[in-house]
Amino acid sequence: MDERLERYAELVVRVGANVRPGQEVFLISAVEHHELTRALARQAYRAGASYVHVRYSDGHTRRAMIELGPDEALTYSPEWLKTFTASMSGNAMIATTGDPEPELLADLDGERVGRAVPQEIVQIRVQQLTENNVNWCGVGAPNEGWATQVFGEPDVERLWEKVAFCMRLDEPDPVEAWKEHLERLAERAAQLNDLHPDVLRYRGPGTDLTVGLLPAARWMAGGGDTSTGIYYVANMPTEEVFTSPDARRTEGTIRSSLPLVLLGQVVRGLELTFEQGRAVRVEAETGADLVRSHFATIENADRLGEVALVTKESRVGQSATLFHDTLFDENATCHIAYGAGFPFLFDSDPGEGLNVANMHVDFMVGGPELEVDAVLADGTQVPLIRGEEWQLA
Amino acid sequence: MSDNGERLERYAELAVRVGANVQPGQEVLVRGLVEHAELVRALTRQAYRAGASYVNATYEDQHVRRAMIELGPDEALTYTPEWLKTYMETMADNALLGTSGNPEPELLADLDGERVGRANPIEAAEIYRRIHGEHRVNWCGVGAPTEGWARQVLGEPDVEQLWELVAFCFRLDEQEPVEAWREHLDRLDARAAALTERQPDVLRYRGPGTDFTVGLLPSARWGSARFRTAGGIDYVANMPTEEIFITPDSRRAEGTLRSSLPLSLGGQMIRDLQLTFEDGRIVQVEAESGADVVRSHLATIENADRLGELALVTNESRVGQTGKLFYNTLFDENATCHIAYGFGLPYSFDGEPDEGMNVSNIHVDFMVGGPELEVDAVMADGTEVPLIRNEEWQLAA
Repeated sequence: MDERLERYAELVVRVGANVRPGQEVFLISAVEHHELTRALARQAYRAGASYVHVRYSDGHTRRAMIELGPDEALTYSPEWLKTFTASMSGNAMIATTGDPEPELLADLDGERVGRAVPQEIVQIRVQQLTENNVNWCGVGAPNEGWATQVFGEPDVERLWEKVAFCMRLDEPDPVEAWKEHLERLAERAAQLNDLHPDVLRYRGPGTDLTVGLLPAARWMAGGGDTSTGIYYVANMPTEEVFTSPDARRTEGTIRSSLPLVLLGQVVRGLELTFEQGRAVRVEAETGADLVRSHFATIENADRLGEVALVTKESRVGQSATLFHDTLFDENATCHIAYGAGFPFLFDSDPGEGLNVANMHVDFMVGGPELEVDAVLADGTQVPLIRGEEWQLA
Repeated sequence: MSDNGERLERYAELAVRVGANVQPGQEVLVRGLVEHAELVRALTRQAYRAGASYVNATYEDQHVRRAMIELGPDEALTYTPEWLKTYMETMADNALLGTSGNPEPELLADLDGERVGRANPIEAAEIYRRIHGEHRVNWCGVGAPTEGWARQVLGEPDVEQLWELVAFCFRLDEQEPVEAWREHLDRLDARAAALTERQPDVLRYRGPGTDFTVGLLPSARWGSARFRTAGGIDYVANMPTEEIFITPDSRRAEGTLRSSLPLSLGGQMIRDLQLTFEDGRIVQVEAESGADVVRSHLATIENADRLGELALVTNESRVGQTGKLFYNTLFDENATCHIAYGFGLPYSFDGEPDEGMNVSNIHVDFMVGGPELEVDAVMADGTEVPLIRNEEWQLAA
């Protein structure tokens, strides 16, 4: 048995999802990820899971649906898959990423690709995120296709080494290393909560954007508790501090700094222009139709749901690797998401400023030249990020 | 598309059009192991081309099942998740395609056979059986060549050679496979009709280690695997299929049966299975390997210890003609005569099944045929009519 694989899976089960004895565990993976999925199943049972459910998805059957299926199939949510998704409430979930064929859908109609979202299932997931009743974790599953995308050759071993570094598996005691890392991030979130910025300002190549923040929204980092008090780390790796902005107060233009692998297409050079909170213009070198289709067909997809700050202490950033995978790339550098905001950042009713949508898409905006400032309610400007370094004391 | 890619699509198309006979507007369930992804994808494409409204492609993973049996709690073994019940219910009035061909047939060989045998999601099996019993699903099972399966059959991971064997069994080498299948099924149906007309009361099996009689039901008829749903959709449930079969009187089985081929069953290999019957029930189980899995079935699943199917296969079988042991029931049961313990098949009855039909939540076929097996029909008046000698059909039709 591959020892690294089992240690990796164990870390995800124990520190990431933090599976509790007696919980059911849901594993959601691409069929090409089965090696890791099997290790996760083993480790989940070892952690005391009462039952492990596995749902393998397949980019090729999805392609067949978009290419050959009827229109109604695109947004259809099968009953059994709704039941599957709803059953996650109160239980644990682990999802794996690492697209084995990131451009599998590149030749298909971007409008159809964008529309192909099982709406009712997404709604159930959004509800679960709102109620914060699933202890879950997203992790990478190295595979040949992903390695080819990253290195130009199917060097899975090299990708595994990069991923293991980002996961702190090289540390003598990874659990302890994660504990320290999560404390460092939590401290940064506490600084921002004390500072209480009213607006974030982004300036950089092609970017001049202001985003209003919500007084009631907390900044968060690393891990958090479910509504029943299970501490979990939703992303491994994670290097960000984040909050949900006021979806009504976004102005200006933002340009993405890294390509974004999105549902079988690659969005490159994305540039979004906002007026009064809404994206009014979408440009991109590739994949613009897919993003436009999201904005046109999914309510409030054209407003922001997350702003996240990442600096160069990031292990993902240190790996100096473009992963072509959002879980990793969004933890290399600052990112922003269009679509749903996070209700769990609020102690009470979030109110109308928090965006509600059946979609959440992160894209990367950070880089050496990006400057991020906090603008306080009295107009004071406080630099947060310069040269990818954290500016607060 | 490469030649192999083209063969895959033609294979999938035949399974979708002739096998499950997917109708426009139907939802389709495609179920395979993760190692079968290539074929699952082709079946999905062909199902959409045939007009499926939606294809539910789902994968099972034996390694996850192994983890459950090895590391999970006792209750997990028989647990049926709610979503799996809903999934099974989706079969009603829709189409189902299942792929077989175990890449690691002995993956569970080192686990406790009793737990392996007990590991069945009972409620899912009940729903499956009910919907099949109501003739509400047009379905087809087909083989999915993989390296692991090829290693079993050929001693080396020669997937291409296995594909050629499977394609031969599938009649893909014919100029007009659809027409070849129609003729083939007509032949089997003619054989079944001739046997039904004679109305044997009992079948007698004699061969090495086998001396066995089993009673038949007057209302049951012999048939091929060409079925019709209650809604009138014709389909072929197994491809390949070379058998004619019947559901026996589960109260009348006496004597001893010895299996003639190994049986790959849920991750263990059952070799030289020997079952002894009294008054319809199995009273003794012996095997060179895997006896515990079978004993666990009989001990934990109601009426698993009675018979549900008798099937006759002769040497015209394309599977038999390959001379290969496939270690896959779908193929091996179509190489030679077989018998199943567990639930009877409602397809044998035109109306309500006879009360002699066995009702259970499992159905396990095992092979009993071979050159030395003699099968006779015994008529109500005691006359004995030879049916099979030296793997050849003895009746005129």
